[in-house]
Amino acid sequence: MTTTQSAPPTVTSTERVIALVGGYGSGKTEVSVNLALHLRNHRLGVQIADLDVVNPYFRCREARTLMRRHGVRVVVPPGAQVYADLPIVLPEIAGMLHPPEGLVSILDVGGDDVGARVLSSFRPHLLDGGYELWQVVNARRPFSDSVAACLAMQDAIHSSSRLRVTGIVSNTHLMEETTEEIILEGVELARAVALAADVPLRMVAVMEDLADAPRIRTLPEPVLRLRRRMLPPWLTDRENAHDERATAARHIPMAKATPQRFGCGIGGTCHG
Amino acid sequence: MSKVLMKGNEALGEAAVRAGCVHFFGYPITPQTEVPEYLVKRLREVGGTFVQAESEVASINMVMGAAGMGVRCMTSSSSPGISLMAEGMSYIAACELPCVVINMMRAGPGLGGILPAQSDYFQATRGHGHGDYQVIVLAPSSVQEAVDLTTLAFELSEKYRNPAMVCADGMIGQMMEPVEFPEEGAATPMPENDWSLGARDGRERRIVNSLYLSPEDLHRHNLKLKAKYDEIAANETRQEIYGTDDGYDVLVVAFGTMARICKTAIDEVRAEGLRVALFRPITLNPYPFGALRDAMDAIEGDGPVLDIEMSMGQMLYDVKLAAEGSRRIEFYGTAGGVVPSPDEVAEKIRGLMQGVQ
Repeated sequence: MTTTQSAPPTVTSTERVIALVGGYGSGKTEVSVNLALHLRNHRLGVQIADLDVVNPYFRCREARTLMRRHGVRVVVPPGAQVYADLPIVLPEIAGMLHPPEGLVSILDVGGDDVGARVLSSFRPHLLDGGYELWQVVNARRPFSDSVAACLAMQDAIHSSSRLRVTGIVSNTHLMEETTEEIILEGVELARAVALAADVPLRMVAVMEDLADAPRIRTLPEPVLRLRRRMLPPWLTDRENAHDERATAARHIPMAKATPQRFGCGIGGTCHG
Repeated sequence: MSKVLMKGNEALGEAAVRAGCVHFFGYPITPQTEVPEYLVKRLREVGGTFVQAESEVASINMVMGAAGMGVRCMTSSSSPGISLMAEGMSYIAACELPCVVINMMRAGPGLGGILPAQSDYFQATRGHGHGDYQVIVLAPSSVQEAVDLTTLAFELSEKYRNPAMVCADGMIGQMMEPVEFPEEGAATPMPENDWSLGARDGRERRIVNSLYLSPEDLHRHNLKLKAKYDEIAANETRQEIYGTDDGYDVLVVAFGTMARICKTAIDEVRAEGLRVALFRPITLNPYPFGALRDAMDAIEGDGPVLDIEMSMGQMLYDVKLAAEGSRRIEFYGTAGGVVPSPDEVAEKIRGLMQGVQ
């Protein structure tokens, strides 16, 4: 057993365009946002595009305030279109596909083959400039719990995007019920998927409260420490609290109760 | 079975399969589209039937047809789509057929927006189609509860031969949480009955019908339905009460996602020493009037009730009915998909408490 500390994920100087794909709900957005912040903290220029044309909620655009504050360029639809469930693909995206050295473009793509289809329109740019296409795998998600299921998803993504997966990201978790064992089960699956697909397992994404667990700390693969940014409304990400919508909401007048009288037979007898 | 991580919409679909429902008719609309998307894959595995109807009007009528054949079946939609189902729901209730309808509410009125809302409360609880009928309405506040209440919806709809609705806001459909399901294949099949259609096989002829030309017959049919709704109201109310351990000076009333936000806010203000409790109706219809009144009567002194909704005040009417003028009712609400934060709710509670102490 090795005692070396697992390393944080890195990218080479030629890996400048990274698209995250995978099964619906596999955690592409959470990984994208955390990877963007991680690379930025390692003094790389980072830009991220929300290419999710499938999901209506919990898209990386919700963390745009936080990312911008950290110096990440965030490309999302303008104005109120940010709330639309329309397949909006901005012209700026094409300009992100040939970044100069020192700048990394992250494309947060929607789930399944349906979400990955958007990439096929950029295929010539991506083939020309080079790309990384990483499949995010959460073994605790439906239709993702076996090597065969993950490879079937990969095939479907190949067909719709017309691009090849070049790496795997292990992101197995069960939200706040995640344990070290659950993560390690997922790593096993991700390794098997990577082996079968003949691509590297690029990193293991782990929530920061478990990242220092003994058997996680010593993983040979790079570990991306995650802080949850896509939160339900009863949990607040205070670092992202100045989101445009949240700010707007505070200035919206609330409805007030007006005194009313009620006379009614609910629960009473029928006057038939 | 080990827990899996699922979106609320997917989990509702799986819960239906586990409840023995393998017939689904639906039409896509944000934020519920993952229900049909999940079932189109999953029903293939279990030999079920999935039909993408040409509209919500068609979906609900397909449900009526399947239910009339004694087949366990379901449809799902979101607010505008549920509006289109109003006529069908009235027919199904009139014919006393069991079925489950999912409404993953979005912001209205009109086309509105795709973000979560609770503004279909009137529509759900007041029988949104025509005539004197009611629908059993269950309101989950977590993905696990969405699973549990879908199972319950099938049970109740068959027990009372009445449509049952799982009424959640889009947040419940879109968020992911760990869930576990009842064992696959453990659901009991639809019991033998004396009303569903099918091969006659020598038995007496059966008719599924909602047309009564004789006013006396239609009157009697309505009395029968009313007796059934009274029975449901007497036996099937469900609620959760939170934070009552050491007494309370203010009672917050909220359901679904809003109740969950209120719990976070209540934990926050209780840590400051403010005594606040939450009443969460789980059945929106029948509404737990008795239990809510008891919870109101247990407020110490003349402290107020604070009703919080992602609407302009719809459940508010039922909260006032429960109070029957006995207590001050305050309201706080948002619309359009704006979801109040725990901080905003906590601030509202602090403001009220200043008046109490």
